[in-house]
Amino acid sequence: MRFRASVENVPTFFRIIQAIEKLQKKCIIKFTEENMHIICNSDANEGGIQVWSQIRVKSIFTNYRIQSNANNEITLALSSEALLAALRSASASSSATSPFETEDIVMKLAKKNEQAVLSFEISGQNKLGRNVRLAHDVRIEVMKPGDTAKLAEPLCPEPDLHILLPPLQKLRTIVDRLRPMSDILAIRANNNGRLQLSINTEGVKVDTEWTGCTNPKSAFTIHPVVFLLIMCSAQDDSTDEKEEPPDPNHFFSVFVSVRSFLKFLNSHVVSTTTIACICQSHCMILYVYIGDVADAGGVLTFYIPAIIDD
Amino acid sequence: MPEDEEENVQPPVLTASVHDVRYFAALLRGVNFVNRATVTVTSRGLTITVEEARTLLGTAFIFADIFDEYAYHSESPPAEQSSQLSQDGDDEQEPEVVDNAAFEIPLNTLIECLNIFGTAGPVSTNNSGDKFKKWRRAEDGSDDDDGDDNGRRGGRRGVSGGGGGPLDAYFGGGSEKRTGMRMSYAGSGYPLTLLIAEDASGPTTTCEITTYEPEPHLELEFDNTRMVLKIILKSSWLREALSELDPSCEKLTFIGNPPPTAGTAARQKQRNLSEPMLRIQAAGTFGSTEMDYPNDRDVLETFECTQTVSFSYRFGHISRTLRALQSSTKTSLRIDEEGLLSLQFLMPSPKPKSATGETTDAFIEFRCLALDDEL
Repeated sequence: MRFRASVENVPTFFRIIQAIEKLQKKCIIKFTEENMHIICNSDANEGGIQVWSQIRVKSIFTNYRIQSNANNEITLALSSEALLAALRSASASSSATSPFETEDIVMKLAKKNEQAVLSFEISGQNKLGRNVRLAHDVRIEVMKPGDTAKLAEPLCPEPDLHILLPPLQKLRTIVDRLRPMSDILAIRANNNGRLQLSINTEGVKVDTEWTGCTNPKSAFTIHPVVFLLIMCSAQDDSTDEKEEPPDPNHFFSVFVSVRSFLKFLNSHVVSTTTIACICQSHCMILYVYIGDVADAGGVLTFYIPAIIDD
Repeated sequence: MPEDEEENVQPPVLTASVHDVRYFAALLRGVNFVNRATVTVTSRGLTITVEEARTLLGTAFIFADIFDEYAYHSESPPAEQSSQLSQDGDDEQEPEVVDNAAFEIPLNTLIECLNIFGTAGPVSTNNSGDKFKKWRRAEDGSDDDDGDDNGRRGGRRGVSGGGGGPLDAYFGGGSEKRTGMRMSYAGSGYPLTLLIAEDASGPTTTCEITTYEPEPHLELEFDNTRMVLKIILKSSWLREALSELDPSCEKLTFIGNPPPTAGTAARQKQRNLSEPMLRIQAAGTFGSTEMDYPNDRDVLETFECTQTVSFSYRFGHISRTLRALQSSTKTSLRIDEEGLLSLQFLMPSPKPKSATGETTDAFIEFRCLALDDEL
């Protein structure tokens, strides 16, 4: 099993892990020849939120080499906090106050004292021009191919609706205000570009509405990556000529936990475009694009299960 | 509902709108120490009343002219009103009691709703005093590290400090977004409805806040004829004194001494023992603090005191006033014979005073009962 890569795009990697770290203490990273998949699927999560992401190797790494008996795939379980700490020291160098300037960051699989680690070797120069080398070892657990095969994305029905979300930062401000008032958030949208976030409790009813959002007809028009993801998650081949819902003004809604939704909104640090899919009374799927949509370096897929409210 | 028809005819009891909610939100925040607040609507404006421990009463007086638009329609039938008006001469309290609408709401919810886009935040406390910013900044640069000021607010202030000349009040200055609001209350049993938006292109929020029947409040009448101490001073003088105190303090005492007459002053000067006119004393488990205000017109703009007075209050109650004190410019402090304390804070309005329509600055008043001496 061999694995070695230079981290070229530290800020992006850092921000992704930042969003992941707020969600779950441990995460699974699966490296394949083309992609890096970051997975959070613990049942222990608040509200059962899961993340399945797919990030193109090219958008973050260079000199990427991977070899294993399991189809050249390596799957690791590691502490997202420790990984974040390693990346923080790697990315700190880009700030002005940093004591040194990074030249190269190599991430590789190693074994130290019988313990498998993901080792980050950061080399650079300090202000005086001397060479500085910094190493971070993140303890990992290499997952057996058998266990890896058991990892499966949640099965969801074909979404009832796709809608492009407003900037997540703005959504977050609003949802932050709603959190003390309610535990459950209703998300409603229709095919006419309208999106509503509402809470409804005994004491207060708050409805925030956006109009003029974009409804991608099917995710295929946005990007093939998403298309594939939807195909996988929906197990449905008929997306290409899906007929329009009869009434574009019909609202589809889903109730989710406010806290789960806020956890998803932590991904505002990486997001550029986010597509929300509503599977009425089942779940909400959110595709958070990393980088420009036209040339997405990857996508984080959040699954938030619906709360069945009667 | 049988009243439906009637309701359609009758206009809502209250409709008000404002293009920038920050001043309104700051006033609400000034009394936001107990969640349940009573809102009284009259044709002149709103009063928001909260009460704690049957001892402290906080009231924000928000006059109609701080809103861009304000309309009040009495719920009571006109016939009753006119009969009340005829009694006007006998009792001036009566018609006021009748001709208003009151309801209770969770104040925190209202404030959170106003700030839903994050642009009605505590920044307002600073910007609401735009025209005062010059002297304020010069005088107390310590705003950011006031004891009770949390870090977040400090940070935001720093950001807001950039813009904000007096002309900004006219031009809606700065690139900062403002939250506009339209509020309506259809009458008893209906929710308070707010329509909130940042700009035409952005999202709109509709809030319906459940209203409750008002509970009677503590009656703390301040009788000016029984007043023993009256002080008017710049809020910063009081703010700095109070923020200096440790939160572990339990008791706060205001001591006032009559201003020395010419003769006694000379004698005292000789003995080098001039009694302070105002002393604030704080006592707690870990010690006590004493702060004296000098006999100086620059500090105590008005000082009326006929006899030596000393009354103590629970510090926990006095500290409830700090949020209002923060954003106020002037403070009036009065105490009556019984020790009832009345603190009034003038909250400077961000609206420019125009030649035609004088804008009345809103104020927040706190009334607090004194502690029994032997406590």
